[in-house]
Amino acid sequence: MSARILNRDELLRLIDEAARDRRLIGPVRRGERTFYEAADRAAELDLDGPQCVYSPKAHFFPPEETLLTFERKSRSFVTHPVRHETPTALVAVRPCEIHGIRLLDHVFGAAPADEGYLARRRATFIIALDCFRPCRDEAFCGDLGTNTAHLGFDLMIRRLSDPEEGSRGAERFELTSATEDGASLLSRAGLGRTADRADLDAVRAYERSKASAFPRRLSCEADRLPEVAQRGYTSTVWERTAARCYSCGSCNLVCPTCYCFNLRDEVSLDGKSGARVREWDGCQLREFAVVAGGHNFRAAPAERLRHRVMRKASWIAQRTGLPGCVGCGRCDRACTAKISLVEILNTLAREQDHDHAGHS
Amino acid sequence: MTTLDTLELPETKDPYEPVVARLIETEPLTELERLFVFEPSDGQVLGHRPGQFVQVWIPGVGEAPISICSSPTRGRTFELCVRRVGEVTSHLHRLTAGEEIGVRGPLGNGFDMTAMQGQNVLVIAGGLGLAPARSVIEYVLDERARFDEFHVLYGARSPAEVLFRHDLIRWRHREAINLLVTVDRPDEQWRGRSGVVTKLFADLPRLNPERTCAVVIGPPVMFKFVVVELLARGIPHDRIFCSLERRMRCGIGKCGHCQINADYVCVDGPVFTYERMRELPEAVT
Ligand SMILES: Cc1cc2nc3c(=O)[nH]c(=O)nc-3n(C[C@H](O)[C@H](O)[C@H](O)COP(=O)(O)OP(=O)(O)OC[C@H]3O[C@@H](n4cnc5c(N)ncnc54)[C@H](O)[C@@H]3O)c2cc1C
Ligand code: SF4
Ligand code: FES
Repeated sequence: MSARILNRDELLRLIDEAARDRRLIGPVRRGERTFYEAADRAAELDLDGPQCVYSPKAHFFPPEETLLTFERKSRSFVTHPVRHETPTALVAVRPCEIHGIRLLDHVFGAAPADEGYLARRRATFIIALDCFRPCRDEAFCGDLGTNTAHLGFDLMIRRLSDPEEGSRGAERFELTSATEDGASLLSRAGLGRTADRADLDAVRAYERSKASAFPRRLSCEADRLPEVAQRGYTSTVWERTAARCYSCGSCNLVCPTCYCFNLRDEVSLDGKSGARVREWDGCQLREFAVVAGGHNFRAAPAERLRHRVMRKASWIAQRTGLPGCVGCGRCDRACTAKISLVEILNTLAREQDHDHAGHS
Repeated sequence: MTTLDTLELPETKDPYEPVVARLIETEPLTELERLFVFEPSDGQVLGHRPGQFVQVWIPGVGEAPISICSSPTRGRTFELCVRRVGEVTSHLHRLTAGEEIGVRGPLGNGFDMTAMQGQNVLVIAGGLGLAPARSVIEYVLDERARFDEFHVLYGARSPAEVLFRHDLIRWRHREAINLLVTVDRPDEQWRGRSGVVTKLFADLPRLNPERTCAVVIGPPVMFKFVVVELLARGIPHDRIFCSLERRMRCGIGKCGHCQINADYVCVDGPVFTYERMRELPEAVT
C-alpha cells in the first residue's frame, strides 16, 4: 500500500477511526508537559508537543500487574493465568520509543515467551509519529540512528509541513503502513489522497532536512559504543559520577528500554486466595542485587551506575542485536543529580583517545 | 498486530505458571537444612540435568530458586536440600508429607555431563554446595562406566554442618569413588580430616589435566582458592565448571536480577566454565 497524504482534520479522523473499537492512548498535555494517557478523541491529543515525560511502555508493560491468581485448598492450590487484552490504539509514538518497544518485544517474546506481555502487545495498534528534528536538548537519537524506524508500528505519520510555518489548513501528513492491519485501516478509512509528484518532492525535502537537523552529541560512532563501554569498565568515571547518585531509580523509571521486574505474592484477607504480581524494578535501587544472607552483589552506587550504562551501551546489544539505548535523553533529564549518560559515554571515549595518544 | 514475528507465534505455555509437586517425604539433615523428596502431581517427570534448579513456589509467600540435589537417573521423584534462611525456605521447612507446592523448571543450563564422558571427574564442594554437587555425584555413580577416575572433595565448617551423612557413608563404601571429607573446625568426636577444603588437594593422586573435568560448587571465597589449586594442576580453563548463585526472580532470562556482566545466571548459568568467568569481572566478588 502506497503512502497517503492527509490534512490535519483527516489525520484526526483517521486516529478516531483507529480508536473506534479500541481505547485511545496518546500524548495528553498537562501544563508544559505531555504524558501518554487515555483520551476520548484524537482532538484531545497534543500531536505537536514535546516528548512525553514517560515512555509509552506502561501501556503494555504496566508498573504493576497480576500474572496469575491462585486459590489455596487444604493441602494444595490451583492457579489461573490472567490475560489483559484490551484493544488499544497507541498514538504518536516516537521512533526512539518504537525501538524501545521492539527491544521489549524481543526480550519478552524470546522463549519461553511471556504470554501475558504478548497478549497486551497483540492487542495494541501503534500509530507512530516521525521526528523531523530533536525533541529536546538531551536527545542523541540522531547519533544512534534510532530517530528513524521502519518497523515495529502499524502506521507511521510524517509531518511534511512544519506546523510553525504557514497556516494549518495547508498542513500535510504522509501516512505509511508497516503491517496489514495498518494498511487495511488506511484503505478502509479512505481518507486523504495518494501522494502526487509535489508530495513526493516534499517527502524528499523532509528527509533532506531531517538528515541535518540532529546535531551530534555523542563523540564516538554508535557502532563503537559497546567497545567504548567495555574498555571503560575500569574507568574512574563510575566512582566520580556515582558520588552524586541518589540511587533513586528515576532513570530506570522513565527509560523506554528498562524492563527489569520483581515478582511477588499478594494474599487476600482470608488467606484463601491471592495473586502473583509483577512490578517494575530498577537496577539503580540499592536492593536490586541483594541475595539471601544480605550480601549485595552491587552494593556501591558506582557499581550500579556502571551496570546501567554497560547494559544500555553494550550488554543488551550483545544479547539481542538491538540497541540497548535509544537516545531519547529521558534519563539525563529525569536525574536530579544531573548525571548524564551521554556525558559518561563521551568521557569514556575521550579517556580512551587519550590513552591511545599516550601510548603511541 | 505488528510485524514482529514473536507476536504472530501461537500462544505457548505460560512460563510463570508452576507445575504442582507433592511432598513425598522430608527429613532433617542439620539444624538448618532439610531434605525434601517431591513428585510432580501430574505424573510427569521433571526431566532435569544435574546442576539445574527449580523455582519453588509457596502460594501466598513467594518463590525461591533451589538446586535439584538428586540425579535424573533416580526415577520420578526429585529432591531438594533447603537451608532455612527466610520467608520461603521457612515455609518449606514446615511442610508435611502430602502437601503440594508449585515448581517452575527445571531451569538453567546444568552441567554438561556429555562433555565429561570418558574423563576423570573431580568434584569440589563446600557447604551447601554439596546439594547441587550431589546431583552430579549420583549421576556419575549411576552411569559409572561412562567416566574414568572419580574424586570428590567436600568441606563443611563444622561436624554439625556436614550434609547428607547417610549418602557420604554409602558413597565411601563404593570403590568407584574417592571421597575425601574435611571440616574447618573439628570437635572432640570428629575423626576425619580437618582444615579447609583446599587442603584435600594434597591427598589427591596425580590426574592427567588434559583428561580431567572439575566441578566446583561452594561459597565465593572457596572458588578463588580452589581455582588456584586446579590451575596449579594444569586443568584447562574450559574444563573447570563452576555453579554460581545470584538473586533471582523470573528464572527465565527476563527480569534482570541475576545478571553478571553480560550474562544471566538463570539461563546462561548457573554453571559457567572458568574460561567464561574470566570474562565476567563480577562473577566472583
Ligand atoms: C541457582 C540457585 C540455586 C540455589 N540452590 C539452593 C539450594 O539448593 N538450597 C538452598 O537452601 N538454597 C539455595 N539457593 C539459595 C536460595 O535461593 C535462597 O536462600 C532463598 O531464595 C531464600 O529465600 P527466602 O524467601 O527463604 O529468604 P528471604 O525471605 O528472601 O530472605 C533471605 C535472606 O535475606 C535476609 N534478608 C531478608 N530481608 C533482608 C533485608 N532487607 N536486608 C538484609 N537481609 C535481608 C534474610 O535474613 C535471609 O537471610 C540457591 C540460589 C540460586 C540462585
Ligand atoms: S536518576 Fe540520577 S540520581 Fe537517580 S538513580 Fe538514576 S542516576 Fe542516580
Ligand atoms: S532471574 Fe530473572 S533474568 Fe535471571
